[in-house]
Amino acid sequence: MNLKATSRKNAIHVMVAYTGGCNGCDIEVVNAVLSPRYDVEQYRVLLTWNPREADVLIVSGVVAWQMVEPLKKIYESIPDPKGVVAVGACAVNGNVYKNLVGDIGQNEEIWAPVDTVIPVDVKVPGCAPRPEDVIAGVVKALPKILEAP
Amino acid sequence: MTSGEKHVEIEKELSFGPVHPALIEPYRIRLFVNDEIVEDCELNINMAYRGIEKLFDGLPVERALLIAERVCGICSHVHAWNAVRVIEGGLNIDVPPRADYVRVMTHEMQRIASHLILFGHAFEVVGHETFATRSFLLRESFMDLISYVGGNRVMPSVPIIGGIRPRADLTESLKRVILERVDEFEEKYKGYVTRIIEDPLVMSRLTGIGFLTKEDAIKFHATGPTGRASGWDYDLRTKMDEYKPFEFNVITDESCDTKARIVVRALEVFESLKIIRQAVKNLPEGPVVNRSWKAEEMDFTTAYMETYRGELMHSYALDSQGKIRNYKIRTPTPTNLAAMEHACVGDHVTEAILTIASCDPCLTCCTRAEVVDSGKSFVLSDFEIVRKYGWRK
Ligand code: SF4
Repeated sequence: MNLKATSRKNAIHVMVAYTGGCNGCDIEVVNAVLSPRYDVEQYRVLLTWNPREADVLIVSGVVAWQMVEPLKKIYESIPDPKGVVAVGACAVNGNVYKNLVGDIGQNEEIWAPVDTVIPVDVKVPGCAPRPEDVIAGVVKALPKILEAP
Repeated sequence: MTSGEKHVEIEKELSFGPVHPALIEPYRIRLFVNDEIVEDCELNINMAYRGIEKLFDGLPVERALLIAERVCGICSHVHAWNAVRVIEGGLNIDVPPRADYVRVMTHEMQRIASHLILFGHAFEVVGHETFATRSFLLRESFMDLISYVGGNRVMPSVPIIGGIRPRADLTESLKRVILERVDEFEEKYKGYVTRIIEDPLVMSRLTGIGFLTKEDAIKFHATGPTGRASGWDYDLRTKMDEYKPFEFNVITDESCDTKARIVVRALEVFESLKIIRQAVKNLPEGPVVNRSWKAEEMDFTTAYMETYRGELMHSYALDSQGKIRNYKIRTPTPTNLAAMEHACVGDHVTEAILTIASCDPCLTCCTRAEVVDSGKSFVLSDFEIVRKYGWRK
């Protein structure tokens, strides 16, 4: 491991962007980081709310149209190298909001899945995924960040 | 706007959000401050509009239940339960008593999990990380129990029309586990609450801010713990048939401030524990689901129930093929929002976010109505409807 990777590994900052799902996923993500049972802070993975500080962006929820532009902005302001993890069925395929529609046929309020808006590296399915899965997803996104030149 | 008729000079506008460290969900707070005192406050909540009510239209009822549960991730059970209560009331479907007991039990478990999220969030805002992480730790024991009952931590999917999913039936060993965990939890939780109440630093931060008088609470219809913390003993659980066999107290507090809102929720958890114990110990024998029903034409039916944050309404009609028409949801937060705006006024800016957090806003489920006006569409939340047209005509 080179010097850059070693130093990057010491402070991985995770940012959660909630884009309009049902809230279940964010709470599980925040849980995964903050709750003492999962507590990834002990591995120096920290939660941040400042995109300029973040390395990994966790996106949850169907992208409601009000959140499309903010989400792009957040993605752009994260410095390279960066990883994006889509958490939850909503972010991965739109969940019931996209696939279980009645007479209207197509839900035009949402831009799900997330990879139609920003590039996604890792997808964590489940409604809601367990915090363990979220952690596994974040860990999968790490090599990309650590090995970047 | 809640400042009334009198004209106030506004020196500065502070705006937070939609993405901000103090706010977990996307919403926007505009504080109009004058010499660091909040003169007026405006909450803008239309960031998560998913068009969820329209999705229901034309779906068979059983499938619609899947969407109803995903209205909100904190109170998923409530939405699923109230959605089936509408059709059970409208078509007179009998629910076996055993199913009712399990529904009530899951409801109370999620209530505890929801209140503990509030503590976590509120103490994050206060800046006391120990209390916040401890509340997340305590919450885990109930998340476990919910997943033992329903199979998922967030979406337990317990109620179905006519009863509960047979998977969610309580076995003898699960009953034992629940009772053990509840005892264990109560022990730890007592210590936690005592620590909070005896901590002079935290209490001085919470006391005496964010006043909401009883008259204002009733005027804005601030239901749930927010209203009860203003001394208004309005709890729909006392009127619900499902809660008849259970014995519990309605917690109220007369002090009307942010501390009261936290304390009321803290004490409510003990009542929930009481209900869970009663439900598990007195669980009647018998079937858990009544499958002898047929979806047929149903008039517009409404069901109200008490959720963790206040009063929830679901209502819909069924057409002749048993498909859903005109789904309407009203969650407690829109009416509570008006109360929050009012409670912030007159305080220092630093207290505003804490006051709002103490009212426990849950915004995913708020934004639902949209007005399309000559090609330009904007979202009209229930809150604005309430503000414009008054509460419940
Ligand atoms: S995946 Fe499920 S739990 Fe997560 S935001 Fe979507 S509906 Fe909610």
